[in-house]
Amino acid sequence: MKKILSVMLALVMVLSAVSALAEAFTPAASYDPGERTFDGGVITLVPAAGGSANSVTSDVYAGIEGKDYTDEKVYTYYDYIGGLTSQSNWDPLSWETKDDDSIRSMQVSSFYAFKLNSDKTGYSIVPEMAAEYPVDVTAEYAGQYGVKEGEEAKAWRIALRQDITWDDGTPINADDFVYSMQQQLNPKMLNRRADSWYDGDFSIVNAKNYLYAGKETYDAIPEAAEDLIAAGTEVFLDMDFWGVTGAPDAEGNVAPQYVSIADDTMYRDAAVEDENADEAWVSAKYIYDNYLAAGAPYNSYADQYLKVKNVGAVVGWDDVGFKKIDDYTLDFILEKPVNEPAFYVPYQLSDFLVKKDLYESCKSFFKDGAPVATEEEADEVTTNYCKSLETNASYGPYVLTTFQLDKEWAVSRNENWFGYKDGNHLGQYQMDNYVATVIVDHSTQMLAFEKGELDGVSLQNADMEKYAASQYIRYTPQSYTTKLTFNTDYSKLLGRGTGSQILVIDEFRKGFSFALDANDFATSYTAAGTAGYGMLNYQYCYNPFTGELYRDSEAAKKALVNLFEMSYGEGGEYASLDEAYEAMTGYDMEKAQELMKVAADKAIEAQIWDGESEIVLEIRVYNSDDIYVQMYNYFQQQLAEAVKGSKLEGKISMKLTVDADYYETNYSGGADMIFTTWGGAAMAPFGILAQCYTDASDGSGKQMEYGYDTTKIMMTLDFGGEIGQITDSLRNWTLWTNSATTEVPNIYTALGSFSDYAYSTRCEVLAATEQCFMNWFTTTSLYYRNVASLVSQKGDYAVDNYLTIIGFGGLEFYTFNYDDAEWAEYIANNQLVY
Amino acid sequence: MTKYIIKRILLMFLTLFIITTMCFVLIKLLPLPAVREMGRDINLVLAKREKMGYNRPIMVQYFLYVKNILVDWDWGVGEQLYEGLGIWDIMMQKLPYTVTVNLYSILLSIPLGIGLGIYAALKKNKWQDALISTLVMVFISVPSYVYAFLVQYFLCFKLGWFPLQAASLSQAGSLFSTKMFVSMIPAVLSLSFGVIAGFTRYTRAELSEVLTGDYMLLARTKGLTKAQAISRHALRNAMVVILPMIMGEFIGILGGSLIIENIFGIPGIGNLYINSINVRDYNFFMALTIFYTLIGLVSGIVIDVSYGLIDPRIRMGSKK
Repeated sequence: MKKILSVMLALVMVLSAVSALAEAFTPAASYDPGERTFDGGVITLVPAAGGSANSVTSDVYAGIEGKDYTDEKVYTYYDYIGGLTSQSNWDPLSWETKDDDSIRSMQVSSFYAFKLNSDKTGYSIVPEMAAEYPVDVTAEYAGQYGVKEGEEAKAWRIALRQDITWDDGTPINADDFVYSMQQQLNPKMLNRRADSWYDGDFSIVNAKNYLYAGKETYDAIPEAAEDLIAAGTEVFLDMDFWGVTGAPDAEGNVAPQYVSIADDTMYRDAAVEDENADEAWVSAKYIYDNYLAAGAPYNSYADQYLKVKNVGAVVGWDDVGFKKIDDYTLDFILEKPVNEPAFYVPYQLSDFLVKKDLYESCKSFFKDGAPVATEEEADEVTTNYCKSLETNASYGPYVLTTFQLDKEWAVSRNENWFGYKDGNHLGQYQMDNYVATVIVDHSTQMLAFEKGELDGVSLQNADMEKYAASQYIRYTPQSYTTKLTFNTDYSKLLGRGTGSQILVIDEFRKGFSFALDANDFATSYTAAGTAGYGMLNYQYCYNPFTGELYRDSEAAKKALVNLFEMSYGEGGEYASLDEAYEAMTGYDMEKAQELMKVAADKAIEAQIWDGESEIVLEIRVYNSDDIYVQMYNYFQQQLAEAVKGSKLEGKISMKLTVDADYYETNYSGGADMIFTTWGGAAMAPFGILAQCYTDASDGSGKQMEYGYDTTKIMMTLDFGGEIGQITDSLRNWTLWTNSATTEVPNIYTALGSFSDYAYSTRCEVLAATEQCFMNWFTTTSLYYRNVASLVSQKGDYAVDNYLTIIGFGGLEFYTFNYDDAEWAEYIANNQLVY
Repeated sequence: MTKYIIKRILLMFLTLFIITTMCFVLIKLLPLPAVREMGRDINLVLAKREKMGYNRPIMVQYFLYVKNILVDWDWGVGEQLYEGLGIWDIMMQKLPYTVTVNLYSILLSIPLGIGLGIYAALKKNKWQDALISTLVMVFISVPSYVYAFLVQYFLCFKLGWFPLQAASLSQAGSLFSTKMFVSMIPAVLSLSFGVIAGFTRYTRAELSEVLTGDYMLLARTKGLTKAQAISRHALRNAMVVILPMIMGEFIGILGGSLIIENIFGIPGIGNLYINSINVRDYNFFMALTIFYTLIGLVSGIVIDVSYGLIDPRIRMGSKK
């Protein structure tokens, strides 16, 4: 009997196991979100105004009436640098960081300066090193440098002042500028800021060719590899794709990084232990044919790892569109005409002057890595110009007097600067000295400020309780928006094995977004951030002549109100667009819960979730600071609330992972969600979407929304009249707003150039693209970044409220209430209260 | 003994070579830091990296790296940190600060720590010993940055006895000026509390044990005074354990203290290693790895040899 029972029990167990196996859920291998088309609505086409319709003002604030800016007293401003290792190179040709720039900017003059205007409401543009405003001389170059007859705004003549000198009194003339530009584009130096002259809207003819003359570069494939091969173009594989760069072939030759996909030389892949095993030896051709070609399993990586070889045209200096006309006149000949030149020529003309004798003495020459005696025989030239006090030169209002790496630097008045004598800078530059000390620790910064040793300090979240109501607090808006970004690549998410592939469901991400109150978030977790809903914040100016801000425009407001499905007007939730916009929080828990129900059903229907398994969404953050933990707790709490009543209730949770490389993890599709931030081009809002939001969905570019392929998102805009509706991909629309022409033939043929239209039209198109991008909630904005800081009782900025481009007026308009001696006495006898 | 030292030095170089090779290969296997900056030409950075040899096979890069150091004393330049500046120059600029502040700390800590340890041992189980032992436990348990904040707040901010930050060279004139010394006192104090406590604890423990030894009784019966017996016999025996600890502290001063340096504005080497790993600056990482490995290995040899110098019974390399 026992035996029979045992056999039956065993049988039951086996059957149970078999049935369990039969029921084990296997998620679908792929997920298709379906066709995505966005209706961007009606755009009012207004042609751009021609001629002098847009002009800049030149009146400058003259300072406080009656105040003596030239007395004999000594005024010093004490500042701090909050990080180490960031100030080691202020060479105008290669500086990189914001902190480097703070040393550089004190010691340079620009061709044109943006100054606080006389009524302190905005900026004026005035010639600084230039003697007068730029003159369009395009006609003089017709038939040369690619300039066609009848073209305008492609060549600009700048007359220089004749009293510019270096800090040691050496005069500066056009030859110095020519030498400096030659060094800027020196092919042996590859100076970091060379791209300022070929990679933007102010590209000098042949600047890039001169820099890369005769050099081979491997660039991204401009079209599908198959089309290139059919057209006879040689395509190369980046051998890093297979990790075999440097691997040996049978004869011991190593694999270069780029190998033609027609090349069948076999290289030994050290990752395969057995030399005789499959794929122990691979060739570029094999890898391409089997893994990257159309239909192959990793074809989606083709854009990232396939390259075409380009060879820079060999051009001489005479072919470069930068000319000395006489000792004090320079011409810039550009590849593209400058739109709105009254603003954009001064705006885009960066400074690039280096002192020839010093620069030459700072050079080192190398050939194949070994030192050589002269530049002619070298293949690499480096310089330590402007990397120490000894190698420093100034042609601006101040000159470096002290520099100690990671400790302190200071500048003092450059008595040889022309601006102190020309009578054009009255009411400016009361400051004699500026001292910046490295103070990394925030509590030390605060103590130093409270002791009167610093004249300004940035605040952190924890400081706000004490200082939020201070009369000395100032808010500096930044052009950065912080967002929560989701990975929507199904295969990557599936591979993580945590069920996070539910993120591909549009309703899920939208529900998550509606569960977050941006207002509450900004107040609770940031020092001075303000609730953010769009990708572009309040810093972006769409009309440089009027200073109109994109976020304040009707089109931009409409985009966000529509995105968050708020209704206004007759029968709507709010009386007007403005009222709806003001009431926006991004939060609607009821809607979030409805969306989560739909999301759960959709996930089950699409076989990507079984309705039972536990789902864990991982958020990766930079470090384990308490603030990140608090943010994570908020997300977790809101998500739990949002899924209440849905099949996801009790089955979904979040996980916090610290990952110092979280951006890179995200770019490889290895994260479920991260915080992301872009910004930095407040005066150029039209290009930002193309440059860093829609450029690559596979992590090969700057776009952080992994898996969100904007070439497959279609947007229709209705231009009315003869043009009517135009439908194209979101990627192409953003390229068009970023000045693309023939690259987007469908749009360009019908509409011409983006810059042909008035700012109001451009603003409407930008708003449509922004809404379209956000419409599928692959990213949801949280807050617009601001910096809160305290200013010292020692002095005052010219304005209390931040103004676009010139901030609070800058240190040139800063006025002191105490000189150094008075301040020392004041703080010795008084407790500073802020 | 000489043969033993030579053997240890040769083995040290072999170990250094193995560690260096492993670190070089492993860090080079990591992906290069990303080059993404809005509106900038990525090719410029990539071309620069090509020139720096980043795209060559790893072993070729390693060969060139070692060759450049041995032949030209060229440790390369920074790419992510201090871009374009020589690694060796930066290290040599920063190291003196770290060494100076830590040296002051040790010069303060050793006599105080050993003195308090001797006093506690001699007053064993009396109230003086209990007080010192309690304080020792407190100072060992609390991390040095806590003292740093307290020292900075009370001595520098509230009382104003010292500046909040160490002086710069332009303010002090030189690294060894009085002004610089005074400005470093808060950092030195913060570093010293823990070290003093450590020395006190070890000295007390060792000396207490030695004092109960039979030979101490013999020394007294031979007619030595208590002071003579302690200084000639007890302390010397206790030093067998304490001296290597002192050596270790001296070696450790080169490492620096990230937090103390940050709080008191000392531009030392303390945070360079971590920064180099965080931002993947290969040349800095390698130079510092070699530097710290070498320090560790040299200190091992020095400590081992020092045993023999203090205690004649210990003879390194002896066959018997």
